[in-house]
Amino acid sequence: MSVNEIVDELRGSRPRASEALRLQVLTLSASPPPRAPSLLARLRGTRRLLLALPAAAGLAVLAATAIGVTRPAPAPVAREAVATGATAEPSIGATPPPAMFAGPAQDSAAAAQAKAPAPTTGRAQRYGATLTLGVEDTDELSAATQQALAIARDLGGYVVSVQYATGDTGAASLTLRVPSAQAAAAVTRLSSLGTILAQNVQIDDLQESLDTLDGQIERVRAQIAALTAAIDRAETAAERARLLERRARTQLELRNLRASRSGTAEVARNATIQLELRTEESSATPAPGSRLDRALDRALAVLAWEAVVALAILVAAAPLALVAVAVWLTRRTRRRREEDRLLAAS
Amino acid sequence: MTLEQPLATRPPSSVAEAAEAHLDDVFGYLLYLTRDRETAEDLSSSTFEKALRLWDRFDPRRGSARTWLLGIARTTALDWFRAESRRRRREEAAALDERVEETFAEGLSPELEAALAELSAGEREVLALRIVLELDGEATARVLGISPTAVSTRLSRALKRLEERVNQG
Repeated sequence: MSVNEIVDELRGSRPRASEALRLQVLTLSASPPPRAPSLLARLRGTRRLLLALPAAAGLAVLAATAIGVTRPAPAPVAREAVATGATAEPSIGATPPPAMFAGPAQDSAAAAQAKAPAPTTGRAQRYGATLTLGVEDTDELSAATQQALAIARDLGGYVVSVQYATGDTGAASLTLRVPSAQAAAAVTRLSSLGTILAQNVQIDDLQESLDTLDGQIERVRAQIAALTAAIDRAETAAERARLLERRARTQLELRNLRASRSGTAEVARNATIQLELRTEESSATPAPGSRLDRALDRALAVLAWEAVVALAILVAAAPLALVAVAVWLTRRTRRRREEDRLLAAS
Repeated sequence: MTLEQPLATRPPSSVAEAAEAHLDDVFGYLLYLTRDRETAEDLSSSTFEKALRLWDRFDPRRGSARTWLLGIARTTALDWFRAESRRRRREEAAALDERVEETFAEGLSPELEAALAELSAGEREVLALRIVLELDGEATARVLGISPTAVSTRLSRALKRLEERVNQG
């Protein structure tokens, strides 16, 4: 008998279920199926995993978006370190400590609102400010430099020095003097010329020095008056010559004191503002984006953290997963071998 | 020799419909596997009981109802073989042989029947699936949990042995 004949005979004598079995199975199959399992029960193995993975990813994105949108943005106001006594009226004769105002990057709009501290009215003070601004490009650098000069002139001040250099990037350094009364306004207006990268304002009280000088001048003037009277009363030529020489020395001292007072008053009269302008390429701090950009940034940051956590979990779970896969493969192989043995022996 | 599978029809909408269409296939497969009509009937019944319970998991995109039912039938038969093996070890008696009928498929010649009885269950099941039920290689592989190539190898061996036994007898 050939293989073809065997095949034909096997196919020709295909077994058929008995009528009794047919009836039994059809009756059984027609009965109502057991209670439908829940959705979770129906999602088994890989299906659960396939559903769980995108669900977890969706939750992570949702959480990141929610945190990004709802978390309050960091206030765009510069951190301030204003020493006490900067604007308080000190008592006569007392030497107030220098006032410092320093801040990191902030945007121009915020800067316009956050005014720099002004010198105290009625007191002689040395006002110095350093302002570092970022501008978009060299065109803006040029325009900002011109505007800075215009602001100084507009406020009754003048330019002490200007350094301007451009290349791939650009920078300008300006030293401006403006009346002390206009110092705060000048800082505020100059701040609007670009993105503030750094800001520093220092106020030193000079009133005590002026008061001291005034006292010394009065004393010396009194000495000169006394010496003049003594010269008039001198009885000998030698005494007169000695007094004249002494009065000349005292008059020289008076001139020096007056010059010193004039210098100190001049310092108090005008504030010095050091303005540094840089193009954005050369500045380290990028301009903050819109509210949407910031929300997106925060959401991305949260997502990045979630990814880091997920990666850490993956790294920790990977060895366990490998062991589980190895166990599963071993069990499957053993089960198949056992089945083959069973079928071979039967 | 042609081993083509009949064209697949639309998937059944219920176990009853599947039973009506594939009961003979399930029974024939189990009969070839166990060589015992009574056992094959019991296992067929168990197979459809399980099918009723698991019907929600049946996905026509992953295979036909016939393949799915034959897979359940195989698991059911293997459980039976395990139980039978334990029972035989316990009683140290060839209980299976006692129950085996001389003619398990009507219409077979005595030589072929005897030759089939000499084959192992593993060889008979691949003959049942590929020759008698005319499943294609892919579907048979899915039922047996092996590759289509392994199915071809098993089938060739089984046919060769069957031919040898028939011609020896």
